[in-house]
Amino acid sequence: MVTELPDLTDEMKAAVGTSGPATTYEVTTLGIRTFARAVGYGNAIYFDEDEAKKKGHPALVAPPGYLGMPVFNPLRQQARGPRATFETPFKRNLNGGTEVEPVAPVYAGDVLEAVTTLSNLALTKGRMGQMLIQTSETVYTRQSDGKIVAKTRGTGISY
Amino acid sequence: MAQVYWNDVSEGQELPALDEEMSSQRLVVWAAASGDFYQIHFDDDFAKGNNLPDIIVHGALKGMLVGRLIDEWIGDEGRIVQWGVSYRGMDPARQNIRVWGKVTKKYEQGGEGLVDLEVGCAQPNGTETTPGTATVMLPKR
Repeated sequence: MVTELPDLTDEMKAAVGTSGPATTYEVTTLGIRTFARAVGYGNAIYFDEDEAKKKGHPALVAPPGYLGMPVFNPLRQQARGPRATFETPFKRNLNGGTEVEPVAPVYAGDVLEAVTTLSNLALTKGRMGQMLIQTSETVYTRQSDGKIVAKTRGTGISY
Repeated sequence: MAQVYWNDVSEGQELPALDEEMSSQRLVVWAAASGDFYQIHFDDDFAKGNNLPDIIVHGALKGMLVGRLIDEWIGDEGRIVQWGVSYRGMDPARQNIRVWGKVTKKYEQGGEGLVDLEVGCAQPNGTETTPGTATVMLPKR
């Protein structure tokens, strides 16, 4: 049993509203096809570049919600997001939910910069005892033209 | 599929549902697609060691299946304004998931035809695990 917190700690309160460092996401043809395959899409614009071009797109189209993969490099230290800047007694984490706001089409070859801001922290009581509800927003900007292409909002539950 | 027009949609209308098989193989493809390699999604022994009945479906995959349901319904000329789901329950793998949607509101904003949806994912026994909402723009005739 985790010791209950009477309130958010000062460290937690200070973390709300802060943003983590930009993370680079690559949108590749391989990534798009793997995503489209897993989700079960049958639309050719997600698999076949010629079909995508016939429909007026410049390249293979990323299905809604696909924003590429963060560049993996074991030789570089992982950037720490705003959620990692405070100590918490809660050891277990659940993904509480996801919201996606597509702003502009995303294509194979795009490189995106993602910045996550911690929007809110709240302590609540649930079936599993005290829980810390963390909401954050991530904004994805395309490097080549500086356009925001999507915003996602996530809810994390720690208990 | 034929293009859906805003004029022809009515509140209460259901979207064509998806019945999706959640095989262990599919979860492995999703792990590769998403970069989520948490073992409760593909390692039977690991899942059982965490008091789970079986490996479980990734929450994010369910969220993206809802995205596909909407994308396939709105056609080439429609646009997703936003969609979101809450992960309220776990879905064990190796059973189907029904991905569904329903029109809750039809309205105009700035000259565009918009539609609000209620969406979700349900287990074969009817248990809803992933309720959510969405807003889409549909072309007008």
